[in-house]
Amino acid sequence: MPRIDYGRAAEITEQLENRLVGSLGGETTVDRRTVLGGLGVAGSAALGLGSRRSEASAGHDDSGDHGNFGAVDEYRDTHFDPHEFLTTFNTGADGQQSVPQRIYEEDGRTVREFELTAVDITIQIAPGIEFEAWAFNGQVPGPTLRAVEGDLIRVEFKNVGAHAHTIHPHLKNVDPAMDGIPQNGPGVLDTDESFTYEWIAQPAGVHFYHCHSLPLKEHVHRGLYGMIIVDPDPERVRENPSDYVTDHPSQITPAMTDDLVAEAETRNHESAANDDVNEMVMVMNGFDTNFDGENEVYAANTRAFAYGVGKTDAKGNWEAGETKRPIQIDRNERQRVYLVNATEFDPINSFHTHSQFFDYYDHGTTLTATKQTVDTIIQAQAQRGIIELDYSDHQPGLYMFHAHQSEFAELGWMSFFEVV
Amino acid sequence: MSDKTTDLPADGTVQSETATAQPFGLPRWVSAVLPIALLVVVLGLFVLTSPLAGIQGGEPLPDATITHTTLPSDDTAVLHVTNNGPEEITIAQVLVDDAYWNFQVEGAGGDRTLAPRESARVVVPYNWNPGWDLHLNLVLSDGATVGHTIVAPQSSPGFSADILWTLALIGLFVGVIPVALGMLWFPFLKTISDRALHGVLLFAAGVLGFLAFDAGFEAFELAERIPGAYEGNLLVVFGIVGALLLVQTISAWREGRAAAGDSRASSGLWIAYLVAIGIGLHNLAEGLAIGSSFALGRVSLGAFLVIGFMLHNVTEGPAVVAPVARDERPALWHFVALGVLAGAPVILGGWIGSFAYSPTVGAFFLAIGVGAILQVVWEIAGMVREADGRVGSATNLLAFLIGFAVMYATDLFVVL
Repeated sequence: MPRIDYGRAAEITEQLENRLVGSLGGETTVDRRTVLGGLGVAGSAALGLGSRRSEASAGHDDSGDHGNFGAVDEYRDTHFDPHEFLTTFNTGADGQQSVPQRIYEEDGRTVREFELTAVDITIQIAPGIEFEAWAFNGQVPGPTLRAVEGDLIRVEFKNVGAHAHTIHPHLKNVDPAMDGIPQNGPGVLDTDESFTYEWIAQPAGVHFYHCHSLPLKEHVHRGLYGMIIVDPDPERVRENPSDYVTDHPSQITPAMTDDLVAEAETRNHESAANDDVNEMVMVMNGFDTNFDGENEVYAANTRAFAYGVGKTDAKGNWEAGETKRPIQIDRNERQRVYLVNATEFDPINSFHTHSQFFDYYDHGTTLTATKQTVDTIIQAQAQRGIIELDYSDHQPGLYMFHAHQSEFAELGWMSFFEVV
Repeated sequence: MSDKTTDLPADGTVQSETATAQPFGLPRWVSAVLPIALLVVVLGLFVLTSPLAGIQGGEPLPDATITHTTLPSDDTAVLHVTNNGPEEITIAQVLVDDAYWNFQVEGAGGDRTLAPRESARVVVPYNWNPGWDLHLNLVLSDGATVGHTIVAPQSSPGFSADILWTLALIGLFVGVIPVALGMLWFPFLKTISDRALHGVLLFAAGVLGFLAFDAGFEAFELAERIPGAYEGNLLVVFGIVGALLLVQTISAWREGRAAAGDSRASSGLWIAYLVAIGIGLHNLAEGLAIGSSFALGRVSLGAFLVIGFMLHNVTEGPAVVAPVARDERPALWHFVALGVLAGAPVILGGWIGSFAYSPTVGAFFLAIGVGAILQVVWEIAGMVREADGRVGSATNLLAFLIGFAVMYATDLFVVL
């Protein structure tokens, strides 16, 4: 039995909070109370606390003949901002304050080191609905880690949650001790235990990490998962182009190699070409709030309808809410979505764009699209891929994207790009 | 009996003590009030010091009941929710057929939080389809869900003079008219032999006995939908026992008056009125059922239903007038009063049922009806025993059975 030390867990949570507050220090409009509002406090959802917000709520606008669809009210817990999470990457050199990280050279290899801490925390998954989560560094999804192909990813993992956890990477990992499962290496880490995982960042692509303690369904569904992005190394692409395509090596021409290298540069965060691409992280997930083995809330990045509109009269008019608002994208910029399916209980999830077709790179391990000109893709649990979008010929305005399981969409996984 | 004799000496001692002296020479009223005063002191200390604060483990589960739903229009659904638990609950979101939907909470003091035992209405603007089941879930702030399915939704008619009139008309047909018609057997009842009259009285008792079972089962069935905090089944038991004892109290008081020489109190008219009240209460419950079905948009007001109710209720007429068959004919206004008392509550019940319906009210009225009916059966048995000395004769038992059977048969016609 792991010894449960709530005092210690609270201390770590406090530390993480302070880091988070520190990271927001520059913004004078946000005080500590606002940042931490509702954090771990059951009952913070009690309505009528923030009157300013309830005025802005979409709740009581039943002007539509068919009633209005969607979650009522705004999010009050500002501890996690899905809009911020969307474009936040931790590379070792740069990232979230709540994720201690460093980058250095060791034996001729770049090492990207991250400190991940599993904590028990209450999160808000829909306006007014709290969920007792287990989370890496207090957030669901966990921090997005990013490295370049061939780097060493070193994760100093500490468990301060009440249950035993691990971190299992979906990478090509050649050392079984680093697989992060109960049967290998250090096995599960009890409360207050630590372990340093080391993984080689390979292959290039978009990958997944999650706790592999049993019962697996619960440990994943409670929130212990996140994304690892491995950027392709343009030099390696030039030397081994056939590793990045599905074609036979005999089919690869010098021109094709040039294209592959150029594509790799757009993917590599250390390359200038990457600056021209707007990159977004979307972790499709769900939450079973009443323990019936079915999710009551679905979302991209935890919060139901967080990328939706704040208010609509269902007659074509809408307003952005304070916490529920579309993702604004520049039509002249190339858009890339790193997508992973972390949904528990349902075998598949999907991604569908309105009025738009895209190229899809399954697992992101190739530099040529595995599906071209599609508007819907499906992902099994833990499957992931890269979606490349181009809105340059679209008129400005709202473009919906969502899971095309209508049920998931109506339970929260319904979002918008606002093309400007 | 043997218990009583062994208790006697103990009783005697107690009496002698109270008669002689109070402890410490205190006045009697102090002894009467002292336990209550001490209870208040102990409760006060308990609240102030909260000695169990450290012992309290965990927290109670949220517990809410959707007692019923109404559909005032084809684009609105209203859920009537009661918080049964000891802690307050907050309705964070509402799911309609697995989709988050807008809603308003009315009657909870302007917010979406319900204190323990507080009830509220959740109004959902939703364009439901008649006949297509509607699954509604309230998602509470901790993620717990409270579900309810509206099977084959139909519009509730709402409140209007038209509805009042319609329900009054239904009540007239299924309640007042059949009872009045049944009472027209009175001249015939006067002419028949004692034996036959007692048979008729037992037939009436059979009718009432059947109604007691009928209403009793229905009350317990409804009790399942009563919010847990109100202890539905016990509420029904309380209703039955309470009504039985109250009516019996009136009856005992009448007997006392009769023994003291009040001729009016000794007449069969008393029993006739008691029967009328019992049947009236039953018919009130019947009206509630009609009214609430009407409110839920569930009544097909076909001729079949009305004919069924009329056949069913016509047997209640002779039950009312049989007790006065051996007396001098009472004044005509008594008959009118008896008929109205027995039959008209259908109208009242219909109104209550359609406008202020809740399973709690419904079950409680049904239970009161059962209690009243049981007392009346008791009363009729006493009446026959007084006149004849024998309730359990072959004729009487058979008459009771026929009463029961006729009600069962006519009940088959009433499909609500």
